[in-house]
Amino acid sequence: MHVKIGLEVHVQLTESRTKLFCGCKANYRGMKPNTNVCPVCLGLPGALPVPQKDPLILGIASSIVMNCRLPGKVVFTRKHYFYPDLPKNYQITQYKGYGTPICLGGSLRYLDPDEWEWREVRISRINLEEDPGRSVYEEGGIMRSKYVLIDLNRSGVPLLEIVTEPVLKSAREARRFVEALLLTLEYIGVTNPRLEGAFRADANVSIYGGERVEIKNIGSTLDLEKAINYEILRQEKLIEFGGKVIRETRHWDPIKGVTRPLRHKEEESEYLYMPEPDIPPVPIEPLMKEAMARLKETPWRRFEELSSMGIPREQAWSLIQTRPALELLLMAIPLGGDPILLAKLIAIDLKGELKKAGRNLYHRDNWPSPKTLAQISKLIDVGSINYDYVKLNVIPKLASNPILSLEEILPKGKANPKKLAIIAVNLSRKAVKDYLKGRKRALEYIVGVGVSMALSKGLSIDPREIRNEILKLLKSNKINI
Amino acid sequence: MMTVTEKLRLISKESADIIDFIEEIFNNIKRCEPKVNAYISLDSMEIAIERLMNSMDKGKLSGILVAVKDNISTMYMPTTAGSKVLYDYVPPFDATVVERIKKDGGIIIGKTNLDEFAMGSTTELSAFGPTRNPWNLERVAGGSSGGSAAALAYGGCDIALGSDTGGSARLPASYTATYSLKPTYGLVSRYGLIPYANSLEQISPMARSVEDLALLLEIISGWDKKDATTLGLKRIKLTDISPADLKELRICIPLNLIDIAEKEVKREIWRFIKRLETEGSRIDEIDLAWGKEALSAYYTIALAEASSNLSRYDGILYPTENLGKNYRNHVLLARKKFGFEVKRRILLGTFILSEGYKDRYYVMAARLRRLVRENLMKLVTKCLIVLPTSPTLPPRIGEKIKDPITLYALDIYNIIANLAGIPAISFPIGFSSGLPIGAQLMTEPLGERKLIAAGLSIEELTGLRGMVADAC
Repeated sequence: MHVKIGLEVHVQLTESRTKLFCGCKANYRGMKPNTNVCPVCLGLPGALPVPQKDPLILGIASSIVMNCRLPGKVVFTRKHYFYPDLPKNYQITQYKGYGTPICLGGSLRYLDPDEWEWREVRISRINLEEDPGRSVYEEGGIMRSKYVLIDLNRSGVPLLEIVTEPVLKSAREARRFVEALLLTLEYIGVTNPRLEGAFRADANVSIYGGERVEIKNIGSTLDLEKAINYEILRQEKLIEFGGKVIRETRHWDPIKGVTRPLRHKEEESEYLYMPEPDIPPVPIEPLMKEAMARLKETPWRRFEELSSMGIPREQAWSLIQTRPALELLLMAIPLGGDPILLAKLIAIDLKGELKKAGRNLYHRDNWPSPKTLAQISKLIDVGSINYDYVKLNVIPKLASNPILSLEEILPKGKANPKKLAIIAVNLSRKAVKDYLKGRKRALEYIVGVGVSMALSKGLSIDPREIRNEILKLLKSNKINI
Repeated sequence: MMTVTEKLRLISKESADIIDFIEEIFNNIKRCEPKVNAYISLDSMEIAIERLMNSMDKGKLSGILVAVKDNISTMYMPTTAGSKVLYDYVPPFDATVVERIKKDGGIIIGKTNLDEFAMGSTTELSAFGPTRNPWNLERVAGGSSGGSAAALAYGGCDIALGSDTGGSARLPASYTATYSLKPTYGLVSRYGLIPYANSLEQISPMARSVEDLALLLEIISGWDKKDATTLGLKRIKLTDISPADLKELRICIPLNLIDIAEKEVKREIWRFIKRLETEGSRIDEIDLAWGKEALSAYYTIALAEASSNLSRYDGILYPTENLGKNYRNHVLLARKKFGFEVKRRILLGTFILSEGYKDRYYVMAARLRRLVRENLMKLVTKCLIVLPTSPTLPPRIGEKIKDPITLYALDIYNIIANLAGIPAISFPIGFSSGLPIGAQLMTEPLGERKLIAAGLSIEELTGLRGMVADAC
């Protein structure tokens, strides 16, 4: 394989109750600029960082879920660089400068839905560190803006830096890994990857064993795939035309879809790492129990559980992507629903309708109740209604109003198949002729007419019954053509 | 002058009026402050009395006037750290020690002068001018807590807070015939102390007597959820201690270190040791062979931490002045406001942490520090180590400032306690040509009660308590 890719993924612990070193909120979205701040995250002189329990527990849980070797104690260090949105002009991180990160090496095992293969990507380490504030550039971005607005609401938000070994072989694989990583962290309650800015990735790309190029500032999994593909192509062309790949850092421009070199001085930095003297090493052991409690659920365990019920892998995959859908299924099964039928209804029909209606799939209230789904499953099972009917009539109604009860949706009564058959035959003269001439398929058309007649009157009908009645009529020679 | 404890006793018996005590202090301030320059910010007597009225009968420090070093955050007074960089900075929060003093009824009347960001041993390196020694106005008051020491020495407050990074509270105490106790690392919260070298420094009580030191330390000590480096223990009880029996004291004297002191200092420290011996204390000679290397290790660690701590002063959040036309230019102009010595220490600290030098300097210093601590721990469990607080008499104003190496060497006796994180008490032992000389005792971590007990009996022995200088 001639392409080697290693990733550095920064994931915000958006679900932490607090910032990493103070009691301010970790999820700052929707707040007025500079209102989610205190002396600690403003970096005021004399204010001291105190490691908070919640982000530490989430960090440890993330380490455990990635099969990491954990240190006895986590040691924080300072990484120095001057930047307008970094109030102390140093970032408290781990790893370098005699620090000890929260994960000393591990791996993530996940399913790649492109090949339906289980993969294992080695993780070199995971750091727990603080996010800087945000610089907001007006008028034409970083290059042309006359001023920059600083918002420190994000300053001090806990961040995981997850570094993989350079073992990924394609842009697609890299994207699938990050998707799997985010899904795993979402399941253990660490992050909500759909929040703006919840994660960023840097990619190291090298081809033919050449120098590696680091691409920074990738903000979505789709961009990650694009950026790496662009970079591979760029390097290939460079070599093809006799050039040489140099070791450098490049910036991903998502609008133009290209990577560009950073100016040289931004690249070379002396970070003056040193141990953080305000924070004594933090022992892991006392936090293990609470971290373990977070690990009850992983998407991969769920996938295997669904597969073992006989649910097709595509549907199982779709279900684990959307937790409310998965939960709906798992709650409807004990109420008497059939797993395979439910999976199809939820993962394909309901999810499809909700998507079509532009509903937020991750909002539990947009999904119907497990009770309703279980009832539907049972009715289909005993033959009271048929699957097609549910798909065409019940599901769309539930998708637009999930709190509707089944009584409100289902037909008031049952149509009389005999009467319906007569009407259908009379309305389908051409089809009847065709049938009598020997085109057996025309029968299905007549049945369809009958079924839609019944439904338009709000009555239920079993297509098998009306089919039988129509056949009887056709064979009885009572038809005048 | 009366000690706090004596004042409080009289006030509780209603045989004295608090207001008279307050007036006495403000009279001293009126007379001496223009010559000494101990304070950077100072409240009027009217405001002090108003505060008293609002805090009547609130606690153990009711009516007591406290001076606070100006690197300790107070939300109603600017906190400058003696620097132009923080000229008009008023913190939006109180330091934990300030909160605790206020809760016990103490009245903070002013913020005292210091070497810029506590970097110095003479209080000459302040953006607000030097502080002079109330015992001799041509001499320095020591530093960096020179303002607090001088205010105590001329009777300009009852008790004071200093900070001690490498003797910054003990050295000025010894130059002004006052008392100071550098606590065990982690006994007192640093929350709100503008950091110079975080792993070395502690806020330290300063006073004119040992019992006042004990009272103030008791109030400010104990775990603080806002400082992860505080030890997990409640207030340490210190006001119930009786003087130690001098016959039971075991004293260790590091001969090799005492040897490098000036002859006046040597004479006084030996006289003091002989007096202890006469009283029946057991004296053992020891050798702290690593003394000079420890000074290098201390400065290496202190400057590395300092350069890191001071990187936050970029002129963006405070002050609010508009300096430069772009970010880079603005930061450069803001950082030009640092004084010369601070710039020197930032540069040295940056060098120490640089790739290629870090192992040779920073890492080596950290290793040396561990060795010093291990070596000391074996000693301090057996005996109290005695040393002068300064190897010299208080230098003349301007005398040492030009030569950083001799300036740094003033700290040699003091940095030992900071490197090892152990407590040390400094007390006056005598005078030479009218200039105060001090000594210190060091003991094991959390041995503060031992130090107070020994201090109480030494104070009785020397009779040097409650002294007020008369040069102004």
